[in-house]
Amino acid sequence: MIRVEDIQKHFGALHVLRGITFDVQKAEAIVIIGPSGSGKSTLLRCINLLVEPDSGKVFIDGVHVNRHGIRHEWVRQQVGMVFQSFNLFTHLTAIENVTLGLTRVKGIPHDQAIEKARKLLARVGLAAKENAYPAELSGGQQQRVAIARALAMDPKAMLFDEPTSALDPEYIREVLDVMTVLAREGMTMIVVTHEMGFASNVASRILFMDAGKIIEEGTAEDIFQNPKEDRTRSFVSKILR
Amino acid sequence: MANWRKFLRDRWRYFDAALALAVIIGSLVYIYELLVGSRGLDVAYITRNYPLYLHAVFTNVYATTIAFVVGMALGFSVGWLRTARSLSVAKFAASMRVEKRERQEAPSGSEVTRRLLVVLSLLWYGTKYVVRRVGDGFVEIIRGTPLYVQILFASSFFIVFLPQYASEGILIGIIALAINTGGYQAEIFRAGLQTVHSGQIEAARAIGFSRLKAMRYVILPQALRLIIPPLTNEYIGLFKASTFLFVLGVQTEISYIAQHEGFAGDVFEIFAIVTAIFLAITVTLSFVVQALERRFRIPGLGIEQVRLPRGVRTARVVG
Repeated sequence: MIRVEDIQKHFGALHVLRGITFDVQKAEAIVIIGPSGSGKSTLLRCINLLVEPDSGKVFIDGVHVNRHGIRHEWVRQQVGMVFQSFNLFTHLTAIENVTLGLTRVKGIPHDQAIEKARKLLARVGLAAKENAYPAELSGGQQQRVAIARALAMDPKAMLFDEPTSALDPEYIREVLDVMTVLAREGMTMIVVTHEMGFASNVASRILFMDAGKIIEEGTAEDIFQNPKEDRTRSFVSKILR
Repeated sequence: MANWRKFLRDRWRYFDAALALAVIIGSLVYIYELLVGSRGLDVAYITRNYPLYLHAVFTNVYATTIAFVVGMALGFSVGWLRTARSLSVAKFAASMRVEKRERQEAPSGSEVTRRLLVVLSLLWYGTKYVVRRVGDGFVEIIRGTPLYVQILFASSFFIVFLPQYASEGILIGIIALAINTGGYQAEIFRAGLQTVHSGQIEAARAIGFSRLKAMRYVILPQALRLIIPPLTNEYIGLFKASTFLFVLGVQTEISYIAQHEGFAGDVFEIFAIVTAIFLAITVTLSFVVQALERRFRIPGLGIEQVRLPRGVRTARVVG
């Protein structure tokens, strides 16, 4: 479904991604862990081309997307993204956040967009909050609206960039629940997170990244219980506590 | 005693406002005494002459509004250009790398088209860079020189290069004002656009908005709400500054004041008329804008008046 081949990315003198290669099958949920600054977020942004890789190839559903002649806007509609800091459009209500992309990017008529947005908001448990502005919602509610906004574009896959690390502890559960249901329904997902419970329950594979490389790859059990690499072991021991 | 103190603390802002009002009224009365004194206000002069000044003010409103709208287009464009600070060497290099890689992978297309692509790409990024730096220079020149000089310069420009239009004072004046306010509005727009969080743009791009559409549907609606107050300031400033157009032969209040035969005798009456007209317009405008701000206010965006316990007043900047 998503294939990444030998991706390199520099930011000035900083070599952020040093040759990343991996595959994600349809309906698979991948969790990426790793210390901060290891290039996890950049990797996600390279997949939907918010960041253009210096070299290497990105395939989405078999299409080589990072080349001339492919519109980035089209690529980004194929993969939804959820951000650490939600990034809901501040000037729009919850439902307008969901419909904006439908009406202005996809050109769907307003009433159809509203209907679809209502369904999605109900799916993330926020049917009652459709007219609330982001500032009137809790962090967990904002993140769930953000998930609905991404789903509205009917993406083939979803990218989650530390979706719960900006949340107060009491709101983490509700967001993870929505993501778990999504994974069970067969959504292809790549999730950067340090929520070990979620990783163990949902992830089909876990990738451990450090210093721009994938160090180790395996099931939750492999990575958390019997890590092969020293770096993985020391990182896992820190986050498991 | 304690009650009295509490009363004073709770109601302090009313005393505050009353004191400010008293100072203003006091000074006005003093000036009135000084200029009019015992001779009495020449009411007949005011009733006879105010239409003249009213007419002049309408010229001002008309010139200011056109100049403001034209300046807004100019200011937005320059302001937007100035939000991107540096030369996109990196972007150019990246596009070259992609091109090179593809050529190696699939050596199709002739050498000529490839060279042409490189030249066009270089030209595109180079032009963008030059336009940006020109925008910087424009803003600095406009902000760094007096409006009066700019108006005189515009007039001289027309006399030398377009003498057939040199007598069109109002046209020259509107152009000069538009360029001037364009420079100031560029800074207002730049600040407004940069205040919108970069995450908003990223989120818009992530659901497939182009740069232009993200600007139109996500950034501008937020930025405009944030810059309503400074834009109002700019309009009022421009409105007052438009009285300078008298140097171009446009009939503004100042020209009447300067020309008027009653300058020595009825000076208070003249200023009373001009002050009243200007205040009526600017105060009305600020009320209208305040109403607009309330109408378009969105929780979490911009400056929110927070109702605190009586006696404490503060404003909070959110988001």
